[in-house]
Amino acid sequence: MSQTTLIAALILGAASLLSGAGKIFPYAYVQEDLPNGLRLITIPTDYPNIVSVYIVVGTGSRNEIEPGKSGFAHLFEHLMFRGTPEFSPQKYQASLNEAGASSNAFTTDDFTAYHTTFSKEDLPRILSMEADRFQHLAYDEPAFKTETRAVLGEYNKNSANPLSKLREVLRATAFTTHTYSHTTMGFIADVEAMPSEYDYSRQFFDRYYRPEYTTIIVAGDVDPKRVRALVDERWSTWKRGGYQAQIPAEPPQNGPRTAHVDWPSPTLPWIAIAYRGPAYTDDTADTVALDAIARLGFDENSPLYQKLVIEEQKVDALRASPPTHIDPELFSVLVRVKNPADLDAVQQQVAATAQDFAVQPVDAAKLEALKAHLRYEFALSLDNSEAVAQTVAEYVALRRTPETANRYYDMYEKLTAQDIQKAAQKYLVERNRTTVTLTSTAVTGGAK
Amino acid sequence: MIRMAALFALSGVAILADTRPAPRVVELPGKSPLVTIRLVFTTGAASDPSDQPGLAHLTAELLGGGGTKDRTYKQILDAMYPMATSVSVYSDKEMTTFVGDTHVDNLDRFYAIMRDMVLNPGWRADDFTRVRDDAVNELRVSLRGNNDEELGKEELYNIIYSGRPYGHENLGTVTALNKMTVADLRDFYQRHYTQANLIIGLAGGYPPDFAARVKKDFASLPAGEPDAFSFAAPAKIERNRATLIDKDTRSVAWSLGFPIDVKRGDPDFAALLVMQSWLGQHRASSGRLFQRMREVRGLNYGDYAYIEYFPRGMYQFEPAPNLGRHQQIFQIWVRPVEPPNAGFALRLALFELNRLVKDGMTQQDFESTRSFLGKYVNVLMKTKSAELGYAIDSVYYGIPDYNEYVKTSLAKLTLADVNRAIRKHLRADRLQIVGVTKDAEKLKAELTGDAATPIHYNSPKPHDILDEDKIVEKWPLNLSAADVTVVPVDSVFEN
Repeated sequence: MSQTTLIAALILGAASLLSGAGKIFPYAYVQEDLPNGLRLITIPTDYPNIVSVYIVVGTGSRNEIEPGKSGFAHLFEHLMFRGTPEFSPQKYQASLNEAGASSNAFTTDDFTAYHTTFSKEDLPRILSMEADRFQHLAYDEPAFKTETRAVLGEYNKNSANPLSKLREVLRATAFTTHTYSHTTMGFIADVEAMPSEYDYSRQFFDRYYRPEYTTIIVAGDVDPKRVRALVDERWSTWKRGGYQAQIPAEPPQNGPRTAHVDWPSPTLPWIAIAYRGPAYTDDTADTVALDAIARLGFDENSPLYQKLVIEEQKVDALRASPPTHIDPELFSVLVRVKNPADLDAVQQQVAATAQDFAVQPVDAAKLEALKAHLRYEFALSLDNSEAVAQTVAEYVALRRTPETANRYYDMYEKLTAQDIQKAAQKYLVERNRTTVTLTSTAVTGGAK
Repeated sequence: MIRMAALFALSGVAILADTRPAPRVVELPGKSPLVTIRLVFTTGAASDPSDQPGLAHLTAELLGGGGTKDRTYKQILDAMYPMATSVSVYSDKEMTTFVGDTHVDNLDRFYAIMRDMVLNPGWRADDFTRVRDDAVNELRVSLRGNNDEELGKEELYNIIYSGRPYGHENLGTVTALNKMTVADLRDFYQRHYTQANLIIGLAGGYPPDFAARVKKDFASLPAGEPDAFSFAAPAKIERNRATLIDKDTRSVAWSLGFPIDVKRGDPDFAALLVMQSWLGQHRASSGRLFQRMREVRGLNYGDYAYIEYFPRGMYQFEPAPNLGRHQQIFQIWVRPVEPPNAGFALRLALFELNRLVKDGMTQQDFESTRSFLGKYVNVLMKTKSAELGYAIDSVYYGIPDYNEYVKTSLAKLTLADVNRAIRKHLRADRLQIVGVTKDAEKLKAELTGDAATPIHYNSPKPHDILDEDKIVEKWPLNLSAADVTVVPVDSVFEN
């Protein structure tokens, strides 16, 4: 027996977005649960020929709760390409090739996604291959060890960029207890120790690669009934698990924190200023209010951007991002400064801009311009089936349904200047702040 | 490092006939509420004056990142914001592209700004200073400091084309940028932003009279003559040679290759496309290099092969369109390896290339790769914007619609064609190699010495792999000390 929810949200293709009426997600979709807990979301789009499948597993670096095991969710993403008794890695790859598929995967703090985009006639083949590896993954210890070296290679190729290090230190400074204290890549000591963790890797698979953690999203030139039949055929034998990770809660922050990174090669200085924020929510205005502050305070048309980047030309990169994680995470601002001498002054202006939202209500016209921006930004992002599937995957990772996008944007439409001020008063305060600076110990080599 | 020699020299590559009405318009109308506008000028770094490398790029950046006659850049950002639109600028050797996507609700407002950015630039001094700083920082900080892989790939091109119009970074050099003035940019603009160089691309749900309006507006540009991209082939590489860029970094990034006399539209293009996909399909795990280097041996994150220029490959899965070039190179990209395995990784890449040249592909490999490419071309065209970009490229190369071109060419192809093309165009010697590494002198000694460079494993390997490793670790690099140049990273892109 399956629970089927049919949600009709179709807005005609050429609808105007000048007003915010109606649901933001423009496609009708079918969301249904198999008896084993697997969720299937099928989204017929009007883009021809192509189908995109995103399989979202509700585990990420957030689930790496044991000491010494950071980076495992990401390592596991690699291991999923190491074959099954029926499909060796070579045969799996050959089948993807025959489908002309573009296939890859990525891991975040909260989830892991496996995605494949291909021509519509290959849908049965792809769903069947994916069912096989999600249920019957089999790799031996030598293959495991070899893959840990590819992960080290990934760490290495990222390591030339100072932003990787800046993020690492920001996380480790802002969090003392929660698993958000490490990045998805993991601590380098743990990455280097991965080769001896074969048994743990099997345990990780057993815990999380289960139907109740998994959502399949199929977007493109598809018929939902046919997709359901294919999924029933190959995925219904998958056994439900019972594991629940106990993610340690982060205690409240009781004062500002700072850290500094010395970077060995030439770079321009970076500053990360972050404030402890809430968990993602679309029940209250907190998440959308902080998103609005990130944009109104730091986007290209913001007064601070126009002053620091365009007029004074002291900064060449400025961006802010709100916390949109399952557990409370960070409102953070990243800045690259052209001249090390300006570091302190820029740092103060960024913090003052964020914290000023608690004092000054935002201008109503600017808030309306932002709401228009969001409607068009969302519509422009859905320009192909793969983008539709990917966008849905990000909302599914939070609340396991595309309806999350509608709830989020509905909340945004209702957002007021008072909501924004209240959120700033609650979160963007000195007590919650962590500041990390990164400067070069070598001769700095930017434009003078 | 970066020199510009006599342009437009000697015998060159034949180009499309130039009896075309200008500006040309490529249209892909549709029902989507989204509209893409692509303005491609067939000019770029290959048209930079020899003493002003980076001029074409900086001119494009000032148009796309500066104000117009009527609006400051701040006013443009403010006006764009509610529409969630922007104009992106890409500039390469022969093409400079301005692209923007908008919802049809905002088409008129968006188009008016985009049009003025290109037709009525503001040429303000403060905008110029900002975009020039950005270019210098892109060279010094982003490329040289923070992205070893792109640094190596770009430098490979610069060395191969040394002394030719392609032989400098698109962004130019720090010294040249610091000497440029707004007047230089205006002069470049007047000479190269012409109707003859313009291809207008439109896609999506724009109104029926829109194309005519755009064409009429851009007819105000000077008629001009098309930029000529007919120049001598790069100098022959007589034997293997390597440049090692010395910087403080964790691992070693390799790029290697040589020029090929094949571009899109040429008879052997499809055959080499099959070869490239089989040897190293970009960011896919299917390629031979990926399989033997990463999957079997865990050497690094990935290993790929190319027959067309593909910048920013670490950030994107599919190539960007509008990078049309009359000259291309064959390239292997070996992603960063742990320093103790650097010599082995380079040797393994050459060993696999040698095997391909010697043995060719098998019937089964040929058929599965051909099948892949015939369908994968749909994935390349998954957005209207990409489809439009490819359509513009097809006009440039004088070929049919790319999807049709690839499918038709593949259908006619045989294994014998592919293996003949491999023998004709590829080789496993006379390569230019670029490495980005710490302790470059030490690596140089390793590459030029007699000792084997064995791989270091952390797990048992099958006998056939260990046997093969014995051959690979001693694979001849044929590099003498004179063939290996060490350069400090601070000197790259500087003068």
